[in-house]
Amino acid sequence: MKGSMEDCSDGRLVAQAKKGDADAFAELVRRCQEKIYFTILALTKNQQDASDLVQEAFMQAFKSLRSFRQRSSFYTWVYRIAVNLTLNFLKRRKREDVQEVLDESQSTGNGTVDSSLSPEGRSLKKELSERMQTAIYSLPLSYRASFTLVVFQGMTHSQAARILGCSENTVSWRMHKARKILQARLKPYLQGG
Amino acid sequence: MRCQKIEKWLSDRIDGELSKEKERLLEDHLEKCASCRSYAASIAKLQDEAMSIKDAEISPLFWEEFASELKANLKSFQQEKKVRRPFVLGWNWVWSGAALLVVVVGLYLLFFQSQPPQEMYVFSLESSLSRIYQEIGDDSELEELFNSVIMDSIGESLEDSGWRERPDFLENLLIWEDLSEGEMKFLESEIKKDVKT
Repeated sequence: MKGSMEDCSDGRLVAQAKKGDADAFAELVRRCQEKIYFTILALTKNQQDASDLVQEAFMQAFKSLRSFRQRSSFYTWVYRIAVNLTLNFLKRRKREDVQEVLDESQSTGNGTVDSSLSPEGRSLKKELSERMQTAIYSLPLSYRASFTLVVFQGMTHSQAARILGCSENTVSWRMHKARKILQARLKPYLQGG
Repeated sequence: MRCQKIEKWLSDRIDGELSKEKERLLEDHLEKCASCRSYAASIAKLQDEAMSIKDAEISPLFWEEFASELKANLKSFQQEKKVRRPFVLGWNWVWSGAALLVVVVGLYLLFFQSQPPQEMYVFSLESSLSRIYQEIGDDSELEELFNSVIMDSIGESLEDSGWRERPDFLENLLIWEDLSEGEMKFLESEIKKDVKT
């Protein structure tokens, strides 16, 4: 049974899931859960939140399967649901730690490499990676969403625009602005070879 | 201004979204502009570093738990839906109900509201006077009072309306019997006006 599910096309699984077949829907979920999860994780930076949001997104997708007209792929459709849920969640959330991360990155990452921040044995590359993640997390939400989809998920501007519900041009501008901000914040780490 | 545009194009180029025509113009500009070359190198490194950030390792157990939680949620949703189903009206039922309501209201208006309004109270001078006489009975004082009130009232309002002559209520209690048909109708219409007000 499981083997036959794996051979099914997305379209056929969607048709079965629309009739209430939970196994068909579970197979659709299995096919895209990882990509969606990591996107949401990149946006929330919290595993529990990411897991809950992805779970909620799939449930919402199952409930509204009847309204899915298959103009886009199931993957794009459910991706959009998940990203929208996450953006709304992040807008609502007023967690102190978000502000703390912002404050910290602005106060300590102001364009100077303080040797005290680089303990011995800690490579500049590792530090850059950590600072990069903090800097990305501190981007305005719309920039962060575009950056995550395009850079981390390798989407084109057009694909990201479909998921975010905006124009390609908007994604293009957001990517440019995001890079400008990140470049300014991480300048000391990006200079030189 | 020009460099700002170039910076945007550099970003598009990294994402593989720059047209060949713009790519050529971009290269021309980079040859001449050290600042933009530096920016180009900087965001190229930024891209490399961002791409090298690896997704956290997720154990297979996480996905197993995720799948079983989802299955449980789906099952509970489907059960809930089954329980709710008999009470859920589809849109077809809603429209049918609305149409039926319109028909019922229409029929009601057609049959009940189209009939002429019936008078709730039909005034008759004759029956009213008979009732008054019954009430007065043998009470001469009341009879006198009644006659004087009626007399004054009629006298005040109808003096100039062609009244034959002022009737004497004291002598003839059944004064209305002496009234002509026209006077009776006139009197009745005047009293009706009072009753309405």
